[in-house]
Amino acid sequence: MMRKSIIRRFTRTPDIPTASTADVAFLLILFFMVTTVFRATSLSLKLVLPKAKSTERILIRRNIAHIWIDNSGRVFIDDSLVPKERVSTKMLPKIAENPELVTILNIHEDIEYGTVDVVLDQLKESRAFKITFATEFGG
Amino acid sequence: MELRQKKKSRANIPTASMGDIAFLIIIFFMTTTVFTREKGIKMLLPEKSETETKVKPENVVSILINPEGALKLKASGYDGIDISPQQYNEVRRIVEEKLLERDTLLVVSLRTSKDARYQAMISVLDQIKLCRVVTQDGRELRANKISLIPTSEE
Repeated sequence: MMRKSIIRRFTRTPDIPTASTADVAFLLILFFMVTTVFRATSLSLKLVLPKAKSTERILIRRNIAHIWIDNSGRVFIDDSLVPKERVSTKMLPKIAENPELVTILNIHEDIEYGTVDVVLDQLKESRAFKITFATEFGG
Repeated sequence: MELRQKKKSRANIPTASMGDIAFLIIIFFMTTTVFTREKGIKMLLPEKSETETKVKPENVVSILINPEGALKLKASGYDGIDISPQQYNEVRRIVEEKLLERDTLLVVSLRTSKDARYQAMISVLDQIKLCRVVTQDGRELRANKISLIPTSEE
């Protein structure tokens, strides 16, 4: 009796359960599909950011507003075209909603500073004091 | 006899390769995903106020950028020296020197012509942001007080 059970144990083939690997894999797929954000902005806007050695990574992910100024001087705030003199009307409600908002200025490197100055003045007016000049490493 | 045997065979969908297919899709998504990471130079704009804050002239390094990108730098001991676009690192040297001298009181004012290129202004701002000195008592100093003067101001 004793002998029989020992023999049976030896003949058993080792088995790794693989039935759930597909489930695990699909879970990972769903995670990546949900978190992936396809960038659409680079298609319509021609932007070359200025280069700077002191470029820092911005760690915050939330509380961010974007302003884009392309090479022809058009100003976009979060995907809509805004006349540069009216930036504050667009920014004021955002700041009222969230005073900690950080505005990231993505401005083409060849733009004349006058345009940037107008936008900075508008930002001061709407009390959006926390800003970041988007730049690329290098220079 | 043959008919009976056919009825007995059970329908079977092979699922052994499901995991392989799924992992293939995972690898596709992992390689094509780009996590958007913002990067740039941080600044804090001043409040818009009528009252002027007086700063002693010896605590100020004032930099003017002309439309061609050339600079004029004024500070105590430097009476309006000219800096060409190739010598921007000179800005860093002078600001660091002044930072040691004036400690935290130092204010760097940056006045850019409205016809100057944005890249010129960023390059100069970059030089100021790069400034880093260590005082004799071991504190690390940076040029934190940077003022971007509006072009409308005379």
